[in-house]
Amino acid sequence: MSRSNKKWFSLNLSRKQNDDSGTCGCGKTSGGCGSHSNDAEMSEEEFYHAAVNASIGDEREKDGFDQVFDVKMDRRTAFRKLAASLLIGAGAVNTSCSMLSSDESKEKAQIDWEEQFKGNYKLMTDDEKKNTVDRLVRSYQLRTGKTISMSSKNAEEDVLFGYAFNISKCQGYMDCVSACVKENNQDRNSQMQYIRIHEMKDGEGLKFDEADDNYYHEVPAEGHFYLGTQCFHCDNPPCVEVCPVQATWREDDGLVVVDYDWCVGCRYCMAACPYDGRRFNWSKPEVPEEEVNHNQHYLGNRMRKKGVMEKCTFCVQRSREGKNPACVEACPTGARIFGNLLDPNSTIRWVLENKKVFRLKEDLGTEPKFWYFMD
Amino acid sequence: MMSSSLFVNRSLCLIVFCMVFFSCKHEDKYHGVMEKIEAEGEHYQGVSLSSENYLEGVDTILISEGGHTFLIPERKNQIKLYACTECHSKPLAEMQEGDIKKAHWDIKIVHANEKAMNCVTCHNPSNMDELRSVTGMSIDFDNSYNLCSQCHSKQFEDWKGGAHGKRIGGWAPPRASMTCVNCHNPHQPHFESRWPARFNTQKVKERE
Repeated sequence: MSRSNKKWFSLNLSRKQNDDSGTCGCGKTSGGCGSHSNDAEMSEEEFYHAAVNASIGDEREKDGFDQVFDVKMDRRTAFRKLAASLLIGAGAVNTSCSMLSSDESKEKAQIDWEEQFKGNYKLMTDDEKKNTVDRLVRSYQLRTGKTISMSSKNAEEDVLFGYAFNISKCQGYMDCVSACVKENNQDRNSQMQYIRIHEMKDGEGLKFDEADDNYYHEVPAEGHFYLGTQCFHCDNPPCVEVCPVQATWREDDGLVVVDYDWCVGCRYCMAACPYDGRRFNWSKPEVPEEEVNHNQHYLGNRMRKKGVMEKCTFCVQRSREGKNPACVEACPTGARIFGNLLDPNSTIRWVLENKKVFRLKEDLGTEPKFWYFMD
Repeated sequence: MMSSSLFVNRSLCLIVFCMVFFSCKHEDKYHGVMEKIEAEGEHYQGVSLSSENYLEGVDTILISEGGHTFLIPERKNQIKLYACTECHSKPLAEMQEGDIKKAHWDIKIVHANEKAMNCVTCHNPSNMDELRSVTGMSIDFDNSYNLCSQCHSKQFEDWKGGAHGKRIGGWAPPRASMTCVNCHNPHQPHFESRWPARFNTQKVKERE
């Protein structure tokens, strides 16, 4: 039922079987894993028995103490049981066995299944990346009737993204914050924002604890300057080190990204980040349908779910196409400069080489690729 | 006996060596990101991406200043009533006398002070289609940055390098940058103060 070269188990609920190798996801070539049948479709009763058999198996013969402690279980059995109970729990049984359910709902169930058991994006081949992106696009289409475009474009050769922020130019208008929220489909209910603009008093240095990052008065305010923070895409990112499931990593073009489908929501990265660059979805992110940005990237602004981390990606959906991030484009003062650090003729390189630049908490060795400078 | 102690010694050495070798994380061969940028940038081959598509619909001209060559938006086709001589057919003094409909009445100069600047500091009264430098040399409207750079030399340096001003298109080459008058009204070049674009009410609640 699954192609042998796949890294995860998949179940064909509606599609005709293409390969006749007869192997199924559990690795066995003949029955016993509960998901194998000679017929393309099982009857409802057959499926029920197979599912029950797969989930509890010989435990039917045991009871009480034995059932809990006298279990011979290896990794594969454990996974099989988990998969089978998930299958039942998720209601996939309902959709896959019912003769009444439409092709569409079967397709939905199929997509959900494949998405549930897909691998880590970081380890996927380009084909696998494309497949998961196609599934997500189709799934969105089935659920909302709207077509989005989602990219799985990899990092370009000879590109390392860097950012510079002019603290004498920023006027605190927060147009960048607004553009970022719209571009990246951030949750409107919790008013999540990747960018913070800190209003600081002139002549007192960078005191983040005394700065106001949620001001609302006419700007620029007398005797203040403005400094923006967001994810700095460190070259030595502590958030990546602490992730127990490797759901976040540094791409070849220097972007630190998150696989929202692999993240388990432990928030270690949030604790590890010295710059308050990461955000957590305490609730399901919601964006009004008409405001959803349909130009998406798997690692960027696609819709997230509850309980996962997210953060600024330097607008990977834009930057990998050669565009500037939304914040750079929105800034009316030209305080934000973005570009390719490896290009000796780029404007970002000129800034680094000709202006007096500094980074935040440089002593930590995190090597942020986000520099500040003054006129 | 001898051989076993030798073996112990050797394995101890090996363990110590392994600890020394693997305990320090030397994943990167560079000491910092600046070193890495310089080293890897030396073999820069260029990128396949281009900003050209994002510049469609913007008429640009190529300029070369101080070793930097880049595009800036054309200005003359953005000025509604260019060429100026279509109206300014007579000398200014004559035009101000007659009962011709008033033009440019809404322009107020808030730029330096009266001693330093008035209309003809930049505009050429004998040829209204051109600007002129303080020494009387003519400057095209498309290259008005040459006028600004007479006083704002520091900003001019930063602009040429890319530290001042804003890019149009994307980060990818070719570079296209806005010119002075795309952001600053030359008659009132300062930025107005205004209210921020948004206010996070949720953050206020969370911090109560």
